[in-house]
Amino acid sequence: MLNFFKNGNKILGMNSRNLEYIRPCNLKRARKIADNKIFSKRFLLKGEIPVPRLIAKISSLEEIDNFDWSKLPESFVLKPNRGFGGEGILVVYGRKKNRADAWVKADGSIVSIEDIKSHIHNIIDGAFSLSNVSDIAFFEERLQLLKLFKPYTFKGIPDIRVVVYNKVPVMAMLRLPTKESQGKANLHQGAIGVGIDLATGITTTSVHNNRIIDYVPGTRMLISGIKIPYWNDILKLAVKAQEISGLGYLGADVAIDKERGPVFLELNARPGLSIQIANLDGLKRRLERVKDLKIKTIEKGVRVGMDLFGGEVEEEVEDISGKKVIGTSEKVKLIGKDGKEIEVEAKIDTGATSTSIDVELAKKLGFEDLIDFFNSIEKPVDFNRDQGKSIEDDLRKKYIGKHPDLADIVIIYSSNGVSIRPKVRTNFILDGVTVFAQANIIDRSELDKDMIIGRKSLGKFLIDVNK
Amino acid sequence: MPNINPIVSYFVEQGVPLVTVTLLLMFPIIATLIAFLRQVAGIKAFGIYTPSIIIFAFLATGIKYGIALFVSVILVGMLVRILIKKFRILYLPRVAITLSIVAIAMLVLLALGGSFQRTGLAAVSIFPLLIMITLVEKFISTQIEKGDKTAFLLAVETLGIAILGYYLLKWSFLVNLIISYPWVILLTIPINIILGKWTGLRISEYFRFREVFKKMQ
Repeated sequence: MLNFFKNGNKILGMNSRNLEYIRPCNLKRARKIADNKIFSKRFLLKGEIPVPRLIAKISSLEEIDNFDWSKLPESFVLKPNRGFGGEGILVVYGRKKNRADAWVKADGSIVSIEDIKSHIHNIIDGAFSLSNVSDIAFFEERLQLLKLFKPYTFKGIPDIRVVVYNKVPVMAMLRLPTKESQGKANLHQGAIGVGIDLATGITTTSVHNNRIIDYVPGTRMLISGIKIPYWNDILKLAVKAQEISGLGYLGADVAIDKERGPVFLELNARPGLSIQIANLDGLKRRLERVKDLKIKTIEKGVRVGMDLFGGEVEEEVEDISGKKVIGTSEKVKLIGKDGKEIEVEAKIDTGATSTSIDVELAKKLGFEDLIDFFNSIEKPVDFNRDQGKSIEDDLRKKYIGKHPDLADIVIIYSSNGVSIRPKVRTNFILDGVTVFAQANIIDRSELDKDMIIGRKSLGKFLIDVNK
Repeated sequence: MPNINPIVSYFVEQGVPLVTVTLLLMFPIIATLIAFLRQVAGIKAFGIYTPSIIIFAFLATGIKYGIALFVSVILVGMLVRILIKKFRILYLPRVAITLSIVAIAMLVLLALGGSFQRTGLAAVSIFPLLIMITLVEKFISTQIEKGDKTAFLLAVETLGIAILGYYLLKWSFLVNLIISYPWVILLTIPINIILGKWTGLRISEYFRFREVFKKMQ
């Protein structure tokens, strides 16, 4: 129980967020910018941050009547300038066929100019703004969905929320619109929040309606393990936006457009707390760790965030798959015949089927006798691939059982030609896991590593080529 | 009868009814209770004004009729929203329509109460009724801003606070305490200062972040 409350200090609650972070860090002037979408668009653009293009704005009822509807493009987004929580946003995907005065929404329903007018009317009346003050409606460019996200997304466009504090990105999540959220990326409307490993930009755990999920609801699409493109750029944009907006505690929303790449969507002066559930980690502990750091440049801030809060992905993947993640070259402990252990650097190669060890290494492991025996037997030299199978069978029939160490005889076709090799049973320990393997013996003295581990021995591992 | 504090009796001598004095003195306690429930327990309700005014409405109507009126007002409000959703009406006219229908429904309810010999219901004074009707506007604006589910949840929380507050105001120990030692209510100020600086997790947040806690164990 005591432990329970101690952990409570690591999680950021509403009280602490408002009192210790939003109040002192986000001054009124900066909050004003964030709450005014058109203004913050201009502000961000000045700081050379890409934003969705503004098409037009309507700020009074007269303007609705005088508006030139023909200048609206095929697809666009209509937003209230001071809206919050994704309310009051209308997205159209294309013009209705054979009609100049109607568009189609995500769910296929038709939106006429009259519908748009009534929606703008509501916006101007303040139906979607904080405390119902009169508002401005604006049209902006609709971003194009990235192919990578297509199978995970219902309509709409996913975005990436990055919480930035003291110029350091402290936590991030991917927000996937669902059918329930009607294509919107807001968690409280039913979108999925996916935690992201800050160092790699790879997704980890997911939350939907405050519950942990593994798959996109109604599908078999596993959400963890997606590598988000432009990860470094996204974090840089988020930190840069904090720098120019003056919001000390910022929720930066970035989307990825098919053609434009990362585009900054929105500044958020009161970022929600659910990001902690998506990442299964507390924000408060992270915020306290970066509180007193002196960060001079954007790049430095991004690097600090990646270093401090990244790296959980590997354990995560290991947790999820039950498999160890290894690199393309690993230290391996081979166990010899008499129990002697020899450590070698092995090449991990999923391109190879089986595992091979060098003759000299095999001798050290106690297979010298077998090698002498194998060298003494008579083997055909000149044969083609068609004959290979029958030759292999002949040799097996003749010699297996003749020597206790000989597990098998194989013909290996490699880039250096054909070779007939003896196979022995040899166990090895890789990253703490004991693998019972059969290895063939060949002269690898010309090669960089004494051992190559192939697919057959790698069933318990996942290979990360960057490691 | 408790010994009445000279200050309180001074007010009464000046012609302020004792009930009014007591209720006004109780107000800081109700407000503090609501602040406490928000900051520490995480019960949001419709802000601080709506629940407290409903507590006083309950005092006027009695708890039974109070709850009946509250529930029917919310139900009618929800029903009307569903009915007029497809007409796409602007905000204020929409609220006006809803309020009108709620007012009519209330009239029907009172008449119904009368016909079932529930004269207490029909005798309810106009002010608590008006308070209940204004609740609808709060409810509708929450529906628009935060969605139906949240609005319903907040309405339930408001009702819960109102019931709690009602019994607090009916608690004779507390009433006597305040009549005898009216200065006690000044204690609410330091309490609220502490609440205003409280940065710990709310009880509801221990529930909300349970998965994170599980992971941390």
